[in-house]
Amino acid sequence: MLPPSTVEPGDAADPEGGGVRLEPYEVFRQEKEGDPMRHGGSVLAPDATLAVHYARELYGRRQESVRLWVVRRADIVELDDPDLLQPPLDRSFKKPGGYVMRDKLEAARDQAGTSKPRPTSTTNAAPSAKRQPGAKTQPRSTPDPDPTPEDGSP
Amino acid sequence: MTSGSHLLPATRNALALQLLAIADDEFVIGSSDSEWTGIAPILEEDVAMSSISQDEIGHARAFYELLAELVADGRDADAIAYDRPATGYYHARLLDHPRGDWAQTIARRYLYDTADAIRLEALAGSSWAPLAALVGKVRREERYHLMHATTWLERLAGADGEPRQRLLDALERLGPDAGTVLTPLPSETALLMADITSGSGAELESRWRAAIAPTFERLSLPLPPPTRSPESARSEHSTAFRELHEAFTSVRLIDPEAVW
Repeated sequence: MLPPSTVEPGDAADPEGGGVRLEPYEVFRQEKEGDPMRHGGSVLAPDATLAVHYARELYGRRQESVRLWVVRRADIVELDDPDLLQPPLDRSFKKPGGYVMRDKLEAARDQAGTSKPRPTSTTNAAPSAKRQPGAKTQPRSTPDPDPTPEDGSP
Repeated sequence: MTSGSHLLPATRNALALQLLAIADDEFVIGSSDSEWTGIAPILEEDVAMSSISQDEIGHARAFYELLAELVADGRDADAIAYDRPATGYYHARLLDHPRGDWAQTIARRYLYDTADAIRLEALAGSSWAPLAALVGKVRREERYHLMHATTWLERLAGADGEPRQRLLDALERLGPDAGTVLTPLPSETALLMADITSGSGAELESRWRAAIAPTFERLSLPLPPPTRSPESARSEHSTAFRELHEAFTSVRLIDPEAVW
């Protein structure tokens, strides 16, 4: 569950009880051009204009962002139904662990005449770091520890 | 590089006074508004106002550094900022008012930021390259400050009852001093002749009044009246400023060697 999407007067966020209705806005930030937008945190604001001001101050004032997305939490479509996301039956057959994609990919690349993208630095060449440069801190998109390259997953 | 050795003495003195006026303005409003740290209306606003105040102190430091290099009398930016008696500061009387309540802070920020924007615009093409370069950078940050102040001015003006009343009260207190930011400096002729600024104080003030008129009209707010006692626009400081001065010089007095 997302936290409540409004703050009522008299709540901790409105100590004056002045009747200003504050709403949470989620802030996504991009560290540099080309990076994915990542969730930075949230701000409370009475409207979108001030939410953008506050997002700028909390997630951009130290020049740590080149772009911010500010989204009213109430506008987010949420899915957290465990029946849909964490079904109880065995789902291992949906995971790509049984496939070895490397040889097939290489053959396909040879056929297409495109070479495998090279990692840009030696640290990225380690088997455990087969991710796009610049995405070092991003969690893997799948919890599967199988070292199959991500571009080979179904 | 930034030494003004190629400048005529009269021009250099006039330039030094202009730099001091801007630096003191930024320093005093930054110090005064920083009093909101910890007590602003909400946490987010606390961060925003503190950050804006920090920006202003940063601008002040940059202008003090330029001034220190220009006059080259052995004082650094810290010495200029902190080692003067309260009577020696050269900020505009608008900034002599205390931060007051939130409405007064917002009203002052709006009046100051709009006037400052006009002043910086006239200096952006300055013939003295170090000033033009610094003003270019400062203007990019001031743009946000003005957005923030305008957002709040609109909210207070548009809210019936207490918020609007407090704003009207603040404008009544500040209005007669609002124009002091652009009151002509005694040395402005030298600045105009040397193309250091592109507009006289009188021109800038009328430009500023024209710039804020549409907003005040839209929000049904009274425009600031003509400047009260322009001859003392930057002297004879208030009790509120003496108290602020006492606070911001206190660390320096305890330990002049302290470093940031």
